[in-house]
Amino acid sequence: MRYEVISHTADTGIIAYGVTPEELFENTAWGMFDLMFDLAQLAPAHDVPVMATGDGVEDLLVNWLSELLFHAETLDLALCYFTIDRLEEGGVQGSAGGVPVDDVVLRGPPIKAVTYHELSVTENPDGWWARLIFDV
Amino acid sequence: MEWKWVANSTWEIEPHDGMLVPGRIYASTALFEKAMSDRASQQVINVAHFPGIVEASMAMPDIHWGYGFPIGGVAATDIADGGVVSPGGVGFDICCGVRLIGSSFQLTDWEARRDQIMAELDRRIPRGLGKGAIAGRALLSDVLERGAAAAVAAGLGGPADLERCEELGTSSGADPGAISDKALRRGGTQLGSLGAGNHFLEVQLVDRVFDPKAATAFGLAEGMICVMIHCGSRGLGHQTCTDQLQVMGPAMARYQITVPDRQLACVPVDSTEGRRYLGAMGAAANFAWANRHILAHETRLAFSRAFQISRERTGMHPIYDVAHNLAKIEAHEVAGSIRNLCVHRKGATRAFGPGHPDLPRDLAEVGQPVLVPGSMGTASWVLRGTERNPAFSSAAHGAGRVMSRKGAKKHQTGASVQEELESSGIAVRPGSVALLSEEAPYAYKDVDEVVDACEAANLGEKVARLVPLGVVKG
Repeated sequence: MRYEVISHTADTGIIAYGVTPEELFENTAWGMFDLMFDLAQLAPAHDVPVMATGDGVEDLLVNWLSELLFHAETLDLALCYFTIDRLEEGGVQGSAGGVPVDDVVLRGPPIKAVTYHELSVTENPDGWWARLIFDV
Repeated sequence: MEWKWVANSTWEIEPHDGMLVPGRIYASTALFEKAMSDRASQQVINVAHFPGIVEASMAMPDIHWGYGFPIGGVAATDIADGGVVSPGGVGFDICCGVRLIGSSFQLTDWEARRDQIMAELDRRIPRGLGKGAIAGRALLSDVLERGAAAAVAAGLGGPADLERCEELGTSSGADPGAISDKALRRGGTQLGSLGAGNHFLEVQLVDRVFDPKAATAFGLAEGMICVMIHCGSRGLGHQTCTDQLQVMGPAMARYQITVPDRQLACVPVDSTEGRRYLGAMGAAANFAWANRHILAHETRLAFSRAFQISRERTGMHPIYDVAHNLAKIEAHEVAGSIRNLCVHRKGATRAFGPGHPDLPRDLAEVGQPVLVPGSMGTASWVLRGTERNPAFSSAAHGAGRVMSRKGAKKHQTGASVQEELESSGIAVRPGSVALLSEEAPYAYKDVDEVVDACEAANLGEKVARLVPLGVVKG
């Protein structure tokens, strides 16, 4: 399972999973956009490089997701494919692919931003998981 | 430590474990119990840790769980006493708010042209994902500088619209230079658009007037067709808050500030970062005021076209425009002296009482119109600000959610929500049918109950109740 939806009164959130930190970053991105669009039905047609910096894994994850929201909104893309090329202390480099938003239907409210509320990134014997709340 | 009932519709918890002031929730017993069903009350407690906070960390009767601040949260900090400003106390949708427009139309007019009106609104009101901006980027820099006044200067609407707008539709502290290039790129093409989620444009009927004197002063009358618009600063505001939070987190250590939740990141108002945030927030607020102004202009055009008459003959006039996500520098009495405060209202409406110097002259006697939209398909309210409001002149901003989006989706499909609304006589033009289920009436508290609690706690007094006729959703 890539992610689960968290119940939240006003907004929405996910718990995402990954065997490695790279997979966790890819799956949180998948979960965030899958809340808005049915990603399983989409095949990416346009690619965009995505980079983010941040102190510590939590900030890095929030900034990576915030960058994705920025690119999606400025390029009018529903992002549906995510790859991490390099993840190291202080920076993440990857890419995302998507389809024009005019070609897809919203299934959840657009996400305005990634919040720090109840944010956590944890490693356990099975891998990594992250808890995130989004403003919608 | 427990929450206790202390006065009519007022509940408090004493300061403990680092709280600097009590927590206070204004709510009836039934609404208070709902507030206790999620983590909103803990968020009231968390906000009570803010350096410089005065009186209490407060919440309005529509309180529910947000991120950082509770939705419905009000917190005032004393600037001279190291009081802080927090982007989390404003939210990502900076200056999200509500505008109400009156008209010369009655129910019979609506019934005669319902399909034409809804078709025109459907065509003219951009909504959903960032598309269909009306004004384009040409106006953007002027809008960031002077808000709705820039739209008037461009020939959209008239000067009278500004007089019935909080701060006259222009934030006095705006600093467009504090808006990042990313925010300009993200929101630059979205001016004049509704967005999605809980944002809407609704055609309403004034169902009942409770205070004829105030209603007349506001420009409302029983049987009048009105239009209510709820939206904010779109991607420009979302990106601005994101940018500022990235700066504020690390800055907190320099000011030796710690808070229980990272989303409550804050810095002294009187600091480089604090002033820069307020400047950026003001410019984003200007975007929001211009955004609602432009949508109101398009609404006038829609009615004019539907009735085949001039814009003037529609009689569409501004009732008021209020922000419910903003931090404002205001003077209030605290412990017997007037203090300069930074008042955060996160999902709370400013509600100045009669005689306040910032009110338009024609409203000085009755107080500020306070707009409290209900959920889709239920009533909305116009209140008036009261004297001796106990919450730094604040009131509720809506019905307030009671069910999660996940829960609401399971309850009913969007298509069946639309069918129910249409069969009860409410025309619906959704941007996405699927999203209707999350905004269905059952996901919200009863707005009438919220308004009763506002009256009981002297946060506002009833002026008029409006019922929905047509809904345009993102």
